[in-house]
Amino acid sequence: MSAVIQHYQSEFEQAKPLLPWRDSAGWQAWRQSGWSRFAEQGFPSTRHEEWKYTSVAALEKLSLSCAPVAPVSLEWASLKDRVVLPEARHRLVFVDGVFQPALSRVDGLPTGLRMGALSAQSVQDSLRLQGLLEQGQRRTPFAALNAAFMAEGAWVTAGAGVRMEDPILVLFVATQGQRAMHLANAYEAATGSAFAVVEQYLGMTDEPYLVNGVTSANLSEGATISHVKIQQEGVRAYHIAALEAVQKRSSHFNSHSFALSGALGRNDIEAVLAEPEAAVSMKGLYRVSGRELQDFHTTILHDSPDCTSDECFKGVLNEAGRAVFNGKIRVAPDAQHTLSQQSNHNLLLSDQAEVDTKPQLEIFADDVKCSHGATVGQLDEEQWFYLRSRGIEADHARALLIEAFALDVLTGIEPPALREALESLLRRTAHV
Amino acid sequence: MLIIKDLHASVGDKPILKGINLEVKAGEIHAIMGPNGSGKSTLSNVLAGRENATVTSGSVSYQGKDLLALDVEERAREGVFLAFQYPVEIPGVGNVYLLKAALNAQRKHRGLPELDAMDFLALVKDKMKLMEMNETMLYRSVNEGFSGGEKKRNEILQMAVLEPRLAILDETDSGLDIDALKIVANGVNSLRAPDRSMILVTHYQRLLDYIRPDYVHVLAEGRIVRSGGPELAHELEKQGYAWVGDESVAAGVKP
Repeated sequence: MSAVIQHYQSEFEQAKPLLPWRDSAGWQAWRQSGWSRFAEQGFPSTRHEEWKYTSVAALEKLSLSCAPVAPVSLEWASLKDRVVLPEARHRLVFVDGVFQPALSRVDGLPTGLRMGALSAQSVQDSLRLQGLLEQGQRRTPFAALNAAFMAEGAWVTAGAGVRMEDPILVLFVATQGQRAMHLANAYEAATGSAFAVVEQYLGMTDEPYLVNGVTSANLSEGATISHVKIQQEGVRAYHIAALEAVQKRSSHFNSHSFALSGALGRNDIEAVLAEPEAAVSMKGLYRVSGRELQDFHTTILHDSPDCTSDECFKGVLNEAGRAVFNGKIRVAPDAQHTLSQQSNHNLLLSDQAEVDTKPQLEIFADDVKCSHGATVGQLDEEQWFYLRSRGIEADHARALLIEAFALDVLTGIEPPALREALESLLRRTAHV
Repeated sequence: MLIIKDLHASVGDKPILKGINLEVKAGEIHAIMGPNGSGKSTLSNVLAGRENATVTSGSVSYQGKDLLALDVEERAREGVFLAFQYPVEIPGVGNVYLLKAALNAQRKHRGLPELDAMDFLALVKDKMKLMEMNETMLYRSVNEGFSGGEKKRNEILQMAVLEPRLAILDETDSGLDIDALKIVANGVNSLRAPDRSMILVTHYQRLLDYIRPDYVHVLAEGRIVRSGGPELAHELEKQGYAWVGDESVAAGVKP
């Protein structure tokens, strides 16, 4: 057994008595199985096809502590300025992986909509969620590690026909270094229901830490979930996460990911269009500078006829920043009348920046419309000159053009107040 | 206003301007005509500060300042305006945003307070009426999806809002039908002022039927080979550019 596995095994033994539902045999078996899957694989190396351009060797060397800890106490006032939706009517706040009831707001929910911290679930309810959580935990060694240690996260369930327009804010704040936080979020939308969740990850320490997240969404017939994820991790932080949505007939999953900071980010996003007429919109923006790396591996499975997928990721790469985009789309043999489009556009602002982009289309049906395109380019000199010729400062003109390129991914975000909040966040965090 | 002395400029290794001399006084309109490849566009580019043309010798003095020493954006704030031959589309940057940022950059440069949103909109809407433009164009991205005529009108709208001291109109008539040409010309004429000079760069005499210049210069092979009054444009229209080539070097006269 390698020293790394040994370290995490000893962490696992120490964490066990502190984890939620520790006395449940169902959970003990579940965690043990997650641990075994991780111990078998260890951290992925770049020899692994899915991790070819993303090395986690430096993360592997950190002996991170995994047991739940007492968080630093924070005042809302100290967070508010960095929060995307400070006025959100409903919010769940977690600090260092621990739920903060005093900072959260869960009152005044519409009948039929329930939300809260995962760990507050009774054993019985939590076991029911296992199936949902398992969805996202199949894929990577990190998801297996998550199964072993998972202690907290957000949970939202909308009953049949319940629709809530106001987005729910789920805030994860990291204040302590040398720690790994294994988070799990579970979202369920029953028939005809709709809600929106905005997950924001805020790093408030320059020490290294790991956020290892798994998010699962289950959409019943005609349901809509809008999921926005914002990563603003610390300069030496690692953020590795899997998101999986399983969609029933005529459901809509709208996913927007914003990877704005952190030493290394890796997101595996998957949508399964399991029944006819389901639609997924998967959009994202990554911004890297310094020596940051952001990696998006997306998968859209068209398993049924008459489904639609619309995917667009954009990247802005500065300095020696790197990014990876791997977009897999599989159209099953009987998924006729599939409509699918994918694009990945990258703006390289320096000679050292680098992006590896790869579409991966596997189409087994014949009556389909699938398109894809990827571009890697620089700022348009003509546009830059035009703005300057009108008196606009060179740097301002450059920032305007970068913004115009990036903000395009906000198209389609509802309600307008959320779009505006994201736009303002993207503007104030732009470091060009 | 503008004094160009023995200006030489190259694009890449190729000399394009080979000794331009020109003086434009306040309030004057000068037309610069010439065949394709004569150096008209290079001259506009050099004046606006585009980096693809390199000045190899000579000088350009604008209001007593060395124009060539100023950055592109400084020239604009000092009152130089280039109406582009091919205005570029900038998706994602709002037309109204650009107008406001440009106007306020200029006002700041001149030590004036920024215009508030109400005054600014009132000003822009007034100028849009002049250019017969629909207000919805304000809220679209700069030139995005505009027709050729709309793009040119948008250029003149910017000029009307920025009120430059020296405007260079590069082939503003190209790609315009007669109705659009009249609107554009009307906009330009309304901006004629004793303290404002204009240089119209054009291949055809057509524009000059609507905007009457004080002087006409013929550019050939990088030099001004003929200068005269508006009648020179008509002469060119009748005889084409072939005849100027023969007399080219000898005839370089100043107005």
